Amino acid sequence: MEDLGIQVLKSVVSGLLMGLVFALVALGLTVIFGVMDIVNFAHGEFLMIGMYTTLLTSPLLGIDPVLTLPLAGLVGAALGVLSYYGLIRFLLRGPMIAQLFGTFGLMLFLRNLALLTMGSEPRILHKGWLVGKSFIVGPGVVLESTKLAAAVLSIVSFALVWWLINRTKVGRALTATSLDAEGARYMGISTQKMNALAWAVGGASVAIAGGLLVNFWPVEPGVGLLFTMIAFATVALGGFGSVRGAFVAGVLIGLIVNIPPIWDAMLRMIDAAGLADLQIHSFKYTMVYAIYFLIMVIKPQGLFGWKQ
Amino acid sequence: MEAVKNAFDFADMPKSELTIAGLGMAFLLLFPVLPHSSFAMATMIQFLMFSLYGMGWNLIGGYGGQVDLGKAQYVGIGAYTTAVMMIRWDVPFWISTPIGLALAVGWSFIIGYPLFRLKGHYFAIATIATSLVLKDLFEVWDFVGGARGLELPLKGDFPNWLYLQFREDYYYFYILLGLFVLGLLVVNGFRHSRLGYQLRAIKDNEDVAKSLGIDAHWSKIKAYALATAYVAVVGSFHACYNFNIEPEDIMSLDLSVLIAMMAMLGGAGSMWGPIIGASILVPMKSYLGDWLGGQAGLAGLDLLLYGGIIMFIAAAQPRGVYGIVEAVRARRRK
Amino acid sequence: MRKVAIFAAIAVLAVCLMPAMAPAAPKEIKIGVIYPLTGPAAAAGRELRAGAELAAKIANSAMDGIDMTMAKNAGIKSLGGAKLKLIFKDHQGNPQLGADLAKKLILDEKVVGILGCYYSSVTKTVSAVCERYGVPMINGTSTSPTLTKRGFKWFWRTTPHDKWFTKDLFELLVGLTKGKVKGVKAVPKAEIQKLAAACEKTEWGSNVSIEIKNFAKEYGFDLVANILYAAKSPDLSSEVQSMIAAKPGAMLFASYTSDALLMIKTLKSMKAKPKLIWGQDAGFDKPEFIALGDDIDGILTRSVFLPSVVKIKPLAGQVNKLYVKKMGHDLDGASARAFTGLQAWVYVLEKAGSTKPKAIQAAANTISIPGKQLVVPWFGIKFATKGDEIGQNVLGSGLIGQYQKKGDKMTLQVVYPFDMATDDMIFPFKGY
Repeated sequence: MEDLGIQVLKSVVSGLLMGLVFALVALGLTVIFGVMDIVNFAHGEFLMIGMYTTLLTSPLLGIDPVLTLPLAGLVGAALGVLSYYGLIRFLLRGPMIAQLFGTFGLMLFLRNLALLTMGSEPRILHKGWLVGKSFIVGPGVVLESTKLAAAVLSIVSFALVWWLINRTKVGRALTATSLDAEGARYMGISTQKMNALAWAVGGASVAIAGGLLVNFWPVEPGVGLLFTMIAFATVALGGFGSVRGAFVAGVLIGLIVNIPPIWDAMLRMIDAAGLADLQIHSFKYTMVYAIYFLIMVIKPQGLFGWKQ
Repeated sequence: MEAVKNAFDFADMPKSELTIAGLGMAFLLLFPVLPHSSFAMATMIQFLMFSLYGMGWNLIGGYGGQVDLGKAQYVGIGAYTTAVMMIRWDVPFWISTPIGLALAVGWSFIIGYPLFRLKGHYFAIATIATSLVLKDLFEVWDFVGGARGLELPLKGDFPNWLYLQFREDYYYFYILLGLFVLGLLVVNGFRHSRLGYQLRAIKDNEDVAKSLGIDAHWSKIKAYALATAYVAVVGSFHACYNFNIEPEDIMSLDLSVLIAMMAMLGGAGSMWGPIIGASILVPMKSYLGDWLGGQAGLAGLDLLLYGGIIMFIAAAQPRGVYGIVEAVRARRRK
Repeated sequence: MRKVAIFAAIAVLAVCLMPAMAPAAPKEIKIGVIYPLTGPAAAAGRELRAGAELAAKIANSAMDGIDMTMAKNAGIKSLGGAKLKLIFKDHQGNPQLGADLAKKLILDEKVVGILGCYYSSVTKTVSAVCERYGVPMINGTSTSPTLTKRGFKWFWRTTPHDKWFTKDLFELLVGLTKGKVKGVKAVPKAEIQKLAAACEKTEWGSNVSIEIKNFAKEYGFDLVANILYAAKSPDLSSEVQSMIAAKPGAMLFASYTSDALLMIKTLKSMKAKPKLIWGQDAGFDKPEFIALGDDIDGILTRSVFLPSVVKIKPLAGQVNKLYVKKMGHDLDGASARAFTGLQAWVYVLEKAGSTKPKAIQAAANTISIPGKQLVVPWFGIKFATKGDEIGQNVLGSGLIGQYQKKGDKMTLQVVYPFDMATDDMIFPFKGY
């Protein structure tokens, strides 16, 4: 019983950390969707580029990886703006399918550009303030420093974006654009600029996340895909375009994928060897998708969605 | 009877299109006789398979405007039904395929009902989710070989029509060509059918369609089931052609996206779209990969170009290559 | 007497003319080589390609200072010195593409045979194509046990497979309890009685998982956690938590490259303290893994070739020197086995003396290459022709190596088989 209690505590802590990381990665996706109803398949590739930026510039400039984050953000923002003016602008004229495939093409393009220039070998950061450190707090509960930093950053950036959208003039212009682009144009808001701004914010936030995550995660050209699917599920579950929704959904998903250790602890307690063959671990993402599907059937706009 | 007449009714097609289609058909019929490399033959078979996948997708994704990114799950159901039945009970292809089709269509009704309560992006992501859930289940289900997949035993006695095992690829080619023609006729019939008109009305404006008394939810489910039938049959064929199936290989998100891409790139919602898309994407992928992939230092260049072309077409003409054709034609008419 | 003389003269003449009358031997023998040159395993593909290329170079030219017959001859002697030509194709990890490429090689390029394909799933489809067309295929690097369970007539595998490798691990564990391991006193069995395994969940890993389960039962160990995980997963903390909570003595892994890195990092962050960590090659044997430095000091990996083999096998050193010259780093499990796979092709062709499939088949089924000809520490190459593993090399054997830090350099020392040990084993693992 005590074992189970400790395991629940461990899983909740680890789930919260991971959930905040998922939310951080999904933030940019939901901002972009909120403003112009477009799902960016290349979102994970922005993350990957952020990771490479930090990995390469930190030894080059001789500074700690954490200090290169502004640079990663800059690269991400530039890439976002470039994508918007070079591609997305044209995609907006077409139906939803064309948008999906345009960004899918962008994903293939960026991923293979990385493959061509960086090679397929996974790389890791060897030195840094956050690398290889973790703190034990309480019985067996461990906080990994990179995840902890990402969790803190996640909370801060969600607060920041929420403030930007709800409390500033630019934010109101963004909201106006997302509600009615035509109307916003009559009001003298440049929708082009607003869209580009959303892409800059989205690209920067996910690239900064990447720069931070590379302190723990190995980076390779295909790393984006691992996070993209989770980010999609996060954004859709929370409700497309809802910043608050993405936050809650990210944490929820983090908690779901940390259920298997609790299950295993339970099996040990009741000594049910037969059930161990169930392979609950290989279902952890299955559970995410299944729960997503169930919630969507009950609530077709997601948890906090207001857009169809 | 009406349906059969519809299937052969090409009267609304421009003459030029029918001429090109006839020439293309003649080329396909004669292809195995013409001098060709075996790689060209293998590419041709891929082309026919993806055309059929794309045609299926087009029924719901193109005519109905419902972006479905989960078609791979039905490829899996078809392929696994054929493989399991052949391995365990020696059931021939011609019997297991209709059963696989029935299972796939049955499953499509079960999940289609809740799925079509969703719209737009929510629908697209939900189709991905259902497909991934099914794939994950197959990966741990020992009855179907789990992640290790299934390998079909060689029955010997080539050509073996019963189990669809041949040494030469042209047998597979002609069987697929038969399915291809059948598939085209069904799409043509669908275009003229009640369901076809209903679906296009829904795509244009669902609220208006509903006010006209169309049961939008049910129409979509029916079209979804029809689309599933295409994909499941080709899945069964794939199992026999490839002799080996794995969940990672035939139920992956990559395949779902590729299927949708055929129709989208060629022109979603037009009859020739998926075929045009497949005729561009399939050869491009296999030949680019073959030329560039084997060379050291150029890894990724083929897919980089591939991604670039997809971006370009999506940006230049949202209705795909067929959209460009139509635009040119419209300009000439003026 | 005169008659005899004339008969003798004719006989001599006939013998002299024989080679001239025989159909001209081909100058070039094409072998199709299918490897993952791009895609997720491109790093391995690079090594595989270099290994096969080096073997072809040694076979095609006479070289001094390498003690193998293939180095003495220029080309295939029995085929009039015909040179090998390798045609590389890239399957990108896609079984369907692999099968199409095999057809291309067989029908368009008219290759004599095929070598490949690293991924067991691709080897499966490619060998099925070869079987249909009756073209010989030698496989040097795929370790799924099922490949030689199919009774194919045109498929031969030089490498030992996962069942053997997993058995090696359990022999090592038993050896530990009996004090057989160099430099380690007998360990009380209770210390390593509990095992926890995590295998990636595609074809390869799930097979390993089954083998581990079966052997644990056979050898009397408790498998307290047997986890299958997705290699393409953004987070492995729940898997590691479950493993740690089961309090195992040994942790066993079957991982590809980036998930192996993430696994070690997660183990470290959660301060795992097992007595022993073992990895089933693949991700545990890559330069990127070795770059983890201190974190892998004391981790075990199975392999078929470790650079320290050079100490006990001079031939391996000679070939390794050439490989280092070509690539800048040592041979590894992948490149050494690709080398050996192509070497098997050379000896089979030499024995067959013909490029006809039937002759090659007969030669492969009867060939016996002694262990001293090989760079890998096997007893030799001899393929099973009956039983339930047709085409499997019965003389192969695996190694288990341990990462040990010597000064600044990370080395891999052999700890199993016990009589080949190159250094004392570090036990227990120091923990994180």
